[in-house]
Parts: sequence; C-alpha cells; structure tokens
Amino acid sequence: METDKNEVLRYLGYRGKPGDARTLEQIDSCLAELSACTVPRSLHRVFPVEAEPGAVTVGGVRMESRDLRRHIDGCKEAAVFAATLGAPADLLLRRYSTTDMSRAVILQACSAAMIEAYCDGQCELLAGQAAKRGLFLRPRYSPGYGDFPLRYQKELLAMLDCQKKIGLTATDSFMLAPSKSVTAVIGLTAEQKSCHIAKCMDCKSQNCPFRKG
Amino acid sequence: MNLLNTLGKRLLFFDGAMGTMLQERGLGPGEQPEPWNLTHPEVICDIHRQYLAAGADILKTNTFGANREKLSGCGCSVREVVAAGVAAAKKAAKGTSALVAMDIGPTGKLLKPMGDLAFEEACGLFAEMARAGEQAGADLILIETMSDCYECKAAVLAAKENTNLPVFVTMIFDEGGKLLTGGDIAAAAALLEGLGADAVGFNCGLGPEQMKHLLPRLRECCSVPIVVNPNAGLPRSVEGRTVFDVTPGEFAASMEEIAAGGAWVVGGCCGTTPEHIAEMVRRCRAVAPAPLPRHDRTVVSSYAKAVVFGGRPVLIGERINPTGKKRLKQVLREQDMDYLLREGVAQQEAGADILDVNVGLPEIDETKMMIRAVTELQGIIDLPLQIDTSSPEVMEAALRIYNGKALVNSVNGKEESMRSIFPLVKKYGGAVIALTLDENGIPETAEGRFAIAEKIVGTAAEYGIEKKDIIVDPLAMTISAGQENAAVTLAALRLLREKLGVHTSLGVSNISFGLPQRDNINAAFFVMALQNGLSAAIMNPNSQAMRSACASFCALSGADDRCMDYIARYSEQKNEPAPAAEGISLHDAIVKGLKESAHSAAEALLADTPPLEVISTRLIPALDLVGRQFEKGTLFLPQLLMSAEAAKAAFEVSRTKLGTCGESVKKNKIILATVKGDVHDIGKNIVKVLLENYSYNVIDLGRDVPPERIVKTALDQDVKLVGLSALMTTTVVSMEETIRQLHRAKPDCSVMVGGAVLTPEYAEMIHADSYSKDAMGAVRYANSLFGG
Repeated sequence: METDKNEVLRYLGYRGKPGDARTLEQIDSCLAELSACTVPRSLHRVFPVEAEPGAVTVGGVRMESRDLRRHIDGCKEAAVFAATLGAPADLLLRRYSTTDMSRAVILQACSAAMIEAYCDGQCELLAGQAAKRGLFLRPRYSPGYGDFPLRYQKELLAMLDCQKKIGLTATDSFMLAPSKSVTAVIGLTAEQKSCHIAKCMDCKSQNCPFRKG
Repeated sequence: MNLLNTLGKRLLFFDGAMGTMLQERGLGPGEQPEPWNLTHPEVICDIHRQYLAAGADILKTNTFGANREKLSGCGCSVREVVAAGVAAAKKAAKGTSALVAMDIGPTGKLLKPMGDLAFEEACGLFAEMARAGEQAGADLILIETMSDCYECKAAVLAAKENTNLPVFVTMIFDEGGKLLTGGDIAAAAALLEGLGADAVGFNCGLGPEQMKHLLPRLRECCSVPIVVNPNAGLPRSVEGRTVFDVTPGEFAASMEEIAAGGAWVVGGCCGTTPEHIAEMVRRCRAVAPAPLPRHDRTVVSSYAKAVVFGGRPVLIGERINPTGKKRLKQVLREQDMDYLLREGVAQQEAGADILDVNVGLPEIDETKMMIRAVTELQGIIDLPLQIDTSSPEVMEAALRIYNGKALVNSVNGKEESMRSIFPLVKKYGGAVIALTLDENGIPETAEGRFAIAEKIVGTAAEYGIEKKDIIVDPLAMTISAGQENAAVTLAALRLLREKLGVHTSLGVSNISFGLPQRDNINAAFFVMALQNGLSAAIMNPNSQAMRSACASFCALSGADDRCMDYIARYSEQKNEPAPAAEGISLHDAIVKGLKESAHSAAEALLADTPPLEVISTRLIPALDLVGRQFEKGTLFLPQLLMSAEAAKAAFEVSRTKLGTCGESVKKNKIILATVKGDVHDIGKNIVKVLLENYSYNVIDLGRDVPPERIVKTALDQDVKLVGLSALMTTTVVSMEETIRQLHRAKPDCSVMVGGAVLTPEYAEMIHADSYSKDAMGAVRYANSLFGG
C-alpha cells in the first residue's frame, strides 16, 4: 500500500503548494512509523438493496437519507464496508500530541491519507470480485456525507460484527473508535457510467480547506 | 460436578457456537441474539441439548452481549435476558452433570482513552451481568472474546467483586499472538493471573491450527489451567456470507493435539456445531490433562507487554517523583500533565523498562492526581508502571485503574504495612517491592535485613502471594554517613539472591547522597550491586554514566549476547542531539523552528537579560512573524508548530529562570475543551500550544467535556475566556449548550469556537463571541481581549 505524499500535504492545508524539506522528511518518517506499528483491517459484506422515496433498505436495515438513496440509485445490491488502522495509530497520535505537536499534526495527516489509501486498495479488490459478476462499484458513501446521518454508524458496525472482528466501535456520539477508521455503503451496479465521481466534487462544502482542485 | 475439583483430573469440554446455530434458525444480520432467550426459549434450549448430546460438560449461555449498553432499545432488561438465558441452559442440563457458564462478552465499546467508556462504567455493566448470572444459578462465569486487556480487567474485577463463582477468561488473539489493542500473550497472562482468574485461554478469531501454535507461548508464561475454544477455521467470505471450512474430523484432530499440548478445557467458537463437538469429545476423551507448568517468573506488565525480572537488569525510571525536584512540585501543583507525560516519554526513550510514578505532595489531592497520572501515562506509554505512594488508599485507587500487573512500591516489615498492602496485591495482582525495615528501623547488618525479608515473604504467603511476586530492596544508604553502608547492602543482596531466592531492587543513587559528582559513585556502585545479584534499579535513565555502566555490565556478564547491544549503542556515537548551531539568534531559531538552538540561544541570552524581557522582546516578536506568514499562506501548519515547539523550549528555560528569581509571567487564564461527545482533540491541542507560547495559562479540560464541568471551572477559577472545539455537526449541539450555560452563569466570560464543521455564520448562530478559523485566530482574539 502506497500512501500519496501529496494527499498528506493536502490534509496539512498546503492547497497544492510544494512541501518544505523538513515537513517532507517528517512525512516520510511518520509514514514509516505508522507502517511499523499498525495492521490495517477491513470487513465487507454484500446485501440486497431496496429503495423507496427518501430511504434505502440495505440487508434489512432501513436508512433514511435522500443523498444515500440518490447515491446508490439503480443498485440492486450494496456492500457494507468498514476499515480501521487500529488502536496503535491513536496511541501514537496521543503520544506526539504531548511531546511534539508538529509531528502530531503530520502524523494525523499521514494516518488520514493512509486509511484512505488502504480503503482504496480494498475497494479495488472488491471491484475485481464484482466485475466477475458484471457489476461496478459506486464510490464509498459514509455516514456524515450529505444527509446520511451519523447515527447509522452503529447499524453498519453491527451488520459486519466490527467490534469482535476488527476491534472497531462507535462512541455514544457516533464517532468511530479507533479514530482512523472508515465505514461506508458501496453501491453495486450493472451500469458503468458515473461510477467514479470525485468525492470533493460531489460535496456541498465549497470553502473546505481540503477541497481538491 | 464440582468444577474446580474436576478441573485437571480429566479433560473438560465446552460446547460450540451459539450464534452460528441461531443464524441457521433465522437470526438476521446485525440482529441481537440475546433477546431470543425470551422470544424463542425453546430454540435456545434445543441448541443446548444438541451440545449436551455431543458430550459437552459446560454450556455457554446465550448472554454474550446481554449488557445494558447493547440491550438498550430492545425493550428487555439485563436481568430478564440473563435469567432466561441461564434458565434455558439449566433446563437442558437438568438430570445431567453438565455445568452452566454465564457467558460474558465485550461491551461493544472501547474504553477511554481509545473510546468513551469509563473504566468504572465498564465494571458496572459487567457487574450487572455477573450478578444476574449468579442469581439465576450459573455455575461459573466465562468472560470471552476479549480483545482489550483493560476491558478484560474490568470484567474480571466485576465478576470477582460481585459473585463467588469461578471465573474463566478467554481472549481473542491474531496469528502473531497479538490482541487487537496491541497487547501480547505474556502481558495478558500476567494481568489475568494477577487478578486471580481460575483459567485463561483463547477463543474466536482463529481456527484450531493457529491456536495450536500459540498454545506453547501461553504455557510458557501461565501457571493456571488453560481453555482453548477456536473457530471452525479462519472465516472466509462467500457471496457476502461468512463460512468456516474446518470439518468436524479436522477440528477434532487439531483439538486432540491442543489437549495433549496442555489445554485442560476445550470447546468451540464461531462456526463449530454439535458435530464438531461430538467428534472432538470422541477423540480427546482419552487424553489426560498435562501437569500445570510451574513458573517462578517475576513479571509485571503494561497493557502491551510484560517485563520479566532476572535476565538483563531492569531499569526503573525515577524521574516522576517530586522529592527534591522543584520543577516537578510546581508541575503537580499546576496540574501540568503534559510536563509529566513528557518526563515519561523521555525516560522510555532513554531506555527505562518501568516507570516509577510518585505524585505525593502535602498540598494536593494525591488520589486524584495519581489516578490522573496513571491514566494519562498508560494512554501514551506502553511500559509497566511502578505505583509509588505511602498511602494505601492512593495505592488501591491506582492499582484498580492500572491497565496491567503493576509494580507496587512498597511494603515493608511493619505489621501495619503488610496488613494494608498485601490484600491489595492479592486482589489486583502485582509484584511488590519489599523494603527491609520494620518497627525497629533499618537493621545495620546484612543478616538483619535478610531476616526482615524472610518475615515479609512468609507473611505474603499467608495472604496467598507467592515469593516470585516479592522483590526485596535491602536499602542503599549513603556512604557519606557511614562507609560500611555499601558493603552491608551488597552482602544483603547476595544473601537474598542465594539463600532466599528472591529478586532484588535498589534506589541506587541513595548511596552517594552528600557527595560531589554523584554519578561517578552511583555508576560504580550499580556495577558492584549487579555483580552481587541485583535484579532491578530505580535510577535516572537520562544519566549517561548509569546507562553505560549497565550496558558494560551486560557485555561483561554475558547477558548481552555477543555484545550486540553494546556495539549497536556505542560503535557510532550518533545518538547525541545535533549540536545547536553556533551564533544563531533566538529570533532566527524560533522562526526556523529549531528547538535545540532556541533552547541554547535562550540560555545564553538569559545570562544577562531578564527573563520577562527575553519573552517580550525576542520570543513573542518571532512568533508574531511566523504567525503572520502562516496567515498569509507562505508557511504552513507543520512549520508554524515547529516554531511553536522551538518557542516552547525557550519559554521553558525562561520559566525555570523566572522561578529562581521569584518573578512570574503575568498570565491570563484560558480554558480549552473539546465539547461533550467529541473525542477528536488535535485541533484543540494545536491551539493550546500556541496560546501557551503567548504566555497564557491554559487550563486544558481535555475532550468529551460536559458543559457543567466547563462552567464550574470557569466560575471556580474566574476565567474570562473559554475556547471550545467541535468536529462533527452532531457535537456542535453540545457546543451550543455549553455556550448557553456559560453565558448564563458567567456573563463576563467570552467564548471562542473553532473546528472542522464550524463557519463564522454557524458560530454566530450558536452565540459564540468569536470564531477562529485556525490557531492563530485564537491567539489574535485572546490578545485583543486581554490587550496582550
């Protein structure tokens, strides 16, 4: 798994400007430290999808969200997906937050880029499996995107038995713990068009400092 | 059948999977199985009967997730679900000798600081289940599928405190022998044995083949009976369904090897069926339980790893102790936890194996401070801790929340000391440092100290504490008060090691008290003590002399195989920090973000410039410059923070100087907190570093902070500015509530807010006084408010 350093810089707010030598050096060493102490893990499971106005039912679990509904429009199946870098990444972050804040923010950006790169890799594997059945993947759609409520974290985690299998849980306020984690619904569709909408382009937050392009 | 009497006389058999069987009967994905105890009791009872028919001795109740947290919203209580679950198993077992195990799985949440569940809340959830299980008539408690040592500790404590049932514990490891939270087998075994689990072992996650390979590692470090309940192989996903491939025949064959390898109780987990269990019982019935291994290992542990006494010298870092340390006293009074944590990290980086934690000062609440120090240290450092306090109350509070098997500092030969400390060691686990002094003081002879050690070991045995868990400290006393002091201590070490067979520890540096250049004497005495059998030293890991004495001793004694460590450490003396660039000004060092240079430039300046002048004319202007460049977008967050770290190093020097000349920086207080429900605190921490650079006294309340606590702190300490951070739209609600309460209770207090989802408009809507788009924004607002 290769983590793109430009992504790390983007998370650090460089907005396309080149990184300075010391920051780039720190990025390399943070990525190495993270790779040495984390074992990324993921789970997925494919469920049938039923759509209705303003909601979808995935594997028997009804989720109210117009945006998710629109996102997986036309899909008969969807994969529920979860991935995490695990607890050690959080420990490192806490540790550097007390000893070296500049390294902490770089490590934070590296771990964010790393979990994304890992998810992309896992989804490519999924896409390979789906292709054998003539199906294509829609991009990952996570609780918190658009009007897809965060409270569905709990349902998604339960559908995959995440706590037991990969140690991934949610807090009472539906934040994932360990924090460097992702849950998502991925539509499977027979039509190839519009399958790779850039996440940023689809997002309503026009002034986000991390926005691509 | 009496469980504890039968255990070890013949092999005992657990049943197999419940969830797998229920899925076949129609349990949906993500549906909770436990309420089926009430809605489908006959199905549950039937599954138990099938396992009984297969030959199981112990039935696991369908109560894995029957805790208040997981059952919330399903309309039934823990007591109902557990009672029905135990009843179904008992009904099936009626008329047989089979036993019913109250099954307790994880809460489904992560404990703080990883997640938001407090340790005592976890204890409460487990206690409720355990009590309900005992009341319903369970014969034992099985705590299973645990992947976090800390949660597992909460469960075992709850079971032990609330029931009289035997407690078995099985945890879930990966193929490398690691828990999901990073702990290894030795650490988990030390913790669980210390807590008095009646049997420990593995379940779930792996198949029997993988567990077979982990079993010898558990046998190496565990003296209690072992339980092995594997899955029917590694799970595989076929068209979205999880399947397990190991057939009953293959399963039974591996289980036979596992039984022959030393497990006393075997059974199955996910994917196993009555056929698997029947085949396993048939093949294993003739296997006689192997004798329990007896280990005399002296071991302490953190959540992640175990430290064993007896090989290389164990180095116990002594720096977190206010005795004789002015700066640390100030740190404790100001509750500057970051300083304390940095001391811990620095000692680990310098090579400490264990960290001593002593936070006793007459004017502070030691219990509160100790709990906080232990909690925060174990949140970022994976070394075992040595709890150092003279108060039994503080000791108990610390041992309770400590995530591992602690080193207890200390007990001594006084009746009162042993009476108060040994029960704690027995209950919570631990190895204890035993000082050779009693009601009559410190004996002057080696034999006298040996006699006290013998008495302590004997008394410990009466409490059920083994000799291996006693580490004797025969006390080093300064040779400046009596030159024979060294010889007496060394002779005592020899006696203790050879005649009593215990491990030993010394506060080595006491030997040189009152002498100049103490490191010289300390290092020489350290080597002499090691040569006389010393196992551990409480010392300053930052001392070069002590570290090289230790490394040289290991090379000379053969403890360092082929001198590899010695060579690695000393062949290239590259570990020295880069020397600070000569002649670079404090201003430039800060702008360029050079920490060491800033430190030495500040030291040089302070020789003839008053500290306050250094701060106001050099430090702050440099920071302002960097801040402006950041705001203009010509430099970025990592660089801003490198400068901030450099400024902090300079500030720390100035502050020490200020302390000595009796001045203090005029500091306005600012509260920072991440609001309730929000556990992401990196943004808040960035703001904190910068505000501290500008001499503000930041009261950091941490994350997930309830509004009431913020209001109370603002009132108690008359704080005029509060900074709140929130990351998610869901937690902005808590932010709004906090602002409402603050404005009502303390109208003269301003609130500034920031965080990923906030905008100036949003901030205004929730009535914040100011919105900061980044950390510099927060500094600017604070400066405008306080006229800084």
